[in-house]
Amino acid sequence: MPLDASLLVQMLLGALLGLSVYLPLRAGQLSLATPGFYAIGGYTAALLSTRFPALAGDGALYPLPSLLLELVLAALIAGALALAIGGPVLKLKGIYLAIATIALVEILRVLNLNLGFTGGATGLFAIPQPFEGPVGYLLLSLAVLALVCWLCARLERLRLGRAMEAIREDELAAACMGLDTARVKLLSFLFSALVAAVAGVISAHFLNTWNARQGSFDASITTLAFVVFGGSRTWLGPVVGGLALTALPELLRPVGDLRLVVYGLVILLGPILFPQGLITPELLRRLRWPFRQTSAEAPAP
Amino acid sequence: MNTAAPLQAPLQAPLLHLERLSVRYGRIAALEEVDLEVRSGELVTLLGSNGAGKSTTLKAISQLVAPSGGAVRWRGQSLKGVATETTVRLGIGHCPEGRRVLSRQSVATNLELGAYLRRDHSGIATDLERCYGLFPRLAERRSQLAGSLSGGEQQMLAIARALMGRPTLLMLDEPSLGLAPKLVAEVMGILAELHRQGLSILLVEQNARAALAIASRGYLLEAGRVSRSGSATELLDDEGLQASYLGR
Repeated sequence: MPLDASLLVQMLLGALLGLSVYLPLRAGQLSLATPGFYAIGGYTAALLSTRFPALAGDGALYPLPSLLLELVLAALIAGALALAIGGPVLKLKGIYLAIATIALVEILRVLNLNLGFTGGATGLFAIPQPFEGPVGYLLLSLAVLALVCWLCARLERLRLGRAMEAIREDELAAACMGLDTARVKLLSFLFSALVAAVAGVISAHFLNTWNARQGSFDASITTLAFVVFGGSRTWLGPVVGGLALTALPELLRPVGDLRLVVYGLVILLGPILFPQGLITPELLRRLRWPFRQTSAEAPAP
Repeated sequence: MNTAAPLQAPLQAPLLHLERLSVRYGRIAALEEVDLEVRSGELVTLLGSNGAGKSTTLKAISQLVAPSGGAVRWRGQSLKGVATETTVRLGIGHCPEGRRVLSRQSVATNLELGAYLRRDHSGIATDLERCYGLFPRLAERRSQLAGSLSGGEQQMLAIARALMGRPTLLMLDEPSLGLAPKLVAEVMGILAELHRQGLSILLVEQNARAALAIASRGYLLEAGRVSRSGSATELLDDEGLQASYLGR
């Protein structure tokens, strides 16, 4: 039973994390902070649901309003942190921003590992279940992913989205056009934190346990791979990347020990064969309007 | 600073006034006490060789780099500490060196982004048509990706994009760079036409002859300092300038 509901939930959460990496990248910012905000979301959910009996209610299932409260609180905490550190950190460019955001993830991991209230190395256990089985999580993740995808698709058409694209292509030119580049970059970083925190809340309940290993440097690289593999120029890219690369190791289980080799090969060959990722705006345009494209993209004489 | 100055200045003050402007990149002085002014309706050129500080001057005006000393005054008011966005809003259009069009966006999208800060949709539409009238080749290629344009067309697009912000002062950073002589003449002709229509222009150029042909006044920047300034005819007759920059 390789493609069961539990794997589907993980794939959907992977797609959300891919979108979280994609959002700052749309504005040209390579942030690897996603697992840090994901961990914050997870700890918020784990702490609220295990330490506050009032939230858990009397029934067998964890009440949905409490889950909603966790989502809101996690978004607030992650958002506040993103706004606080985004100002100074986003002054860094390219690989330096990546390094600084990895540092953020590591700081949070070490804190979570050593603080008392986060449960130390063993983490937090027995996180209550709001649903009876994986199908509930599947529906919730699907709904959240659909909402985030819809917002991302809207964003690509909005002024803010076009400003992000302009900054990504040429930050100086964007500044000369009067774009407030610092604000646009900060907003993209904030969106990234919100999406990751929401994914963390769902994930903590789904996994039933949460610890410092959930937000590690490995996860930074894995989530980046989602975007590199799927493509970073349209929202569909990270979704496809997140779904495919989360499913792949599980689907490859029959291959036995070779599966990680195959997984590695796929990640290696993806960028070589599709340097812009599997999904590009040009590809989407070709699929939708096969006849118009010749006039729009005729080469200059 | 004289706080009363802005109140009485607007009538008298030049549009743009650099007062002993200095910029440092770490320990290197890029600009040292540069004095320069552009009056309303003037076409002024800033000449100099590579590394003289021409681009830095424009970046300091746009607040893309922070001055280490002196002041940039716009209609008499210091621009110290304002954001680049605000300089665009105030009417300072900056067409940066090397065209820098957004190559993966269409010509039309590039132009629309040039009007990013504006909300007057009918005015934007009018200006768009005006740009297409000024640069007919852009009109033909409006749905084409900017990256597929020729170098000359990209330069036209960069100028048109800056015009879409409806600037009072248009600053251009070496628009002749890398263009064939015929295209240089075409670009200069367009700038002269814009100037005739009343636009104030600050033109940074290495091509002194082409720039002085359309400018009313000029400044020569050497190693971060203004070494000569005067009317275009004075500068054209200047022997030192002739030897170094006009190649006679």
